[in-house]
Amino acid sequence: MKYYIKLGLILLLITSVASGILALLNNKTQPIIEENQRKEAEQARKEVLPEATVFEEVTTPDFSYYIGKNADNQIVGYTFVASKFGYSSEVKTMVGVNPDLTIKKIKIISQSETPGLGANCMKPDFAPKFEGLKLEKLKVDKDGGDIKSITGATITTRTVTNSIKEALEKLMNILPKNNIFEEKSAEEVSR
Amino acid sequence: MEFVGRIFTMAIAAIFVQNFVLARFLGLCPYIGVSKKLDSALGMGMAVIFVMTMASTFTWMIQSFILIPLKLEFLQTIAFILTIASLVQLVEMIIQKTAPALYKALGVYLPLITTNCAVLGVSILNIQSNYSFIEAIFNGFFAGLGFTLVLALMAGIRERLDKAEVPASMKGMPIAMITAGLMALAFLGFAGLKF
Amino acid sequence: MSLIKEFTKGFVKENPVFIMALGLCPTLAVSSSVQNAIGMGFAATFVLIFSNIIISLIKGFIPSKIRIPAYIVVIASFVTIVDMVMHAFLPPLHKSLGLFIPLIVVNCIILGRAEAFASKNNVLKSFVDGLGMGLGFTLALVVIATIREILGAGQFFGINVLPKSYIEKPMLVAILAPGAFLIMGLLMGLMNIAKKKK
Repeated sequence: MKYYIKLGLILLLITSVASGILALLNNKTQPIIEENQRKEAEQARKEVLPEATVFEEVTTPDFSYYIGKNADNQIVGYTFVASKFGYSSEVKTMVGVNPDLTIKKIKIISQSETPGLGANCMKPDFAPKFEGLKLEKLKVDKDGGDIKSITGATITTRTVTNSIKEALEKLMNILPKNNIFEEKSAEEVSR
Repeated sequence: MEFVGRIFTMAIAAIFVQNFVLARFLGLCPYIGVSKKLDSALGMGMAVIFVMTMASTFTWMIQSFILIPLKLEFLQTIAFILTIASLVQLVEMIIQKTAPALYKALGVYLPLITTNCAVLGVSILNIQSNYSFIEAIFNGFFAGLGFTLVLALMAGIRERLDKAEVPASMKGMPIAMITAGLMALAFLGFAGLKF
Repeated sequence: MSLIKEFTKGFVKENPVFIMALGLCPTLAVSSSVQNAIGMGFAATFVLIFSNIIISLIKGFIPSKIRIPAYIVVIASFVTIVDMVMHAFLPPLHKSLGLFIPLIVVNCIILGRAEAFASKNNVLKSFVDGLGMGLGFTLALVVIATIREILGAGQFFGINVLPKSYIEKPMLVAILAPGAFLIMGLLMGLMNIAKKKK
């Protein structure tokens, strides 16, 4: 019995030393990792909503998004992340919408779909397909919409399209509730 | 009802569309090593299903009740692999007592289940996919099932291959790989399978 | 064996992938691009070297009965270190390699060398063995990745090397799962022929 306790203690000692070292390293690397992620997200937001100089985060239990405002404190649009599981991975897309809720620009920020097929969604000819579209037009051609599927990658195309559609619907439901429409958008002010 | 649908989709995905061996490349070492005879392949498969299901259960609990509350997520790799090693020890002892013939047949491959990437792989995947407790257990089970299916298919083919005329340099590992490649090609046809 | 021989044995004669058929899972998974192959190769070599060193250092203190769990803790610690450092300083590589970084801990090569070599030899020899085996592993990965990336995408390390007409319609299967198995099988067959000729 005493033998087994000794074995257990030695193993515990090794594990404790290891855990201690890892904890120290974790303290050093965690902040760097979080900062990287923050910067990446900020950069993606800027890309899909270039006129915005400042982003305000709005978090609700179901959905979070950012309000983009320009230097004159006018709303130039909104950004949110649409996420859905595709063929072999979670596909995350940063979406920028105009104040009238048409798509301004999208950027796929993370995916591990099949190389040569679904992964072609990262090619420069894919994202522009979504620009200027309203909610009703967000459908893959096979589902009766305007978005032409990538050859051999209907699943990935459908995933991106539907994820944006669902997220946009959530945004449309939340906006009136947050009385955002009371603030004048940049377009309205210039009229 | 929606829950049953989700579980069913998960099963199809884990077994066919994203088979752990042929599409995810997990569980290859034992796959090549034990797939020579059908009965030892099935025995190994059963053991792996059991370990993968149990591993999914315990690693999920450890992640949710110990690692996250104590902010020790960085210890995930150590915690998970030690859990799996212990489970495999346990399974070894059980099989030794209840089915000594199987124990002998599996030989060194039984403790090697610890280093089976599929077991650690499915544990980590469950966490990454944000599965609930029940979903994690089911995924572990189905992944094991997919592994066993492919293992059994491979064993069946290899038993026949042994009697075929294979060029000397391709005997053994090389032809096993080619076979796996052809099977993977076939399984690729499951892409897009949806219910 | 001389120190040089300990180092070079991992390259051809006892190549972990082609001769000993160890470490297959990550080999097939990350060899779809040369960049991933090098990244994984170096990460695994790092873990292999340091695990070998530590295990060789403490081999006297570990009772035989718990040696496997002890080795596992050491290896898992270095894997976690690699994971953290890569996540912080090389995020794109960390994303590409994904699940296979923590899976380095179950790479049979590392546990295999710990058990077969580091537990029985001194620190210097263990270091050299780890370095040689690790580089041999990396070499194998790069060879496979070169074939797969050129055939499957017409590129090497992300740079186009084949004419545009090929890149438009490459042999896609090479970077998909089946291609990995098929190419591996053919390479192993070739290795056997090469071994016989000696």
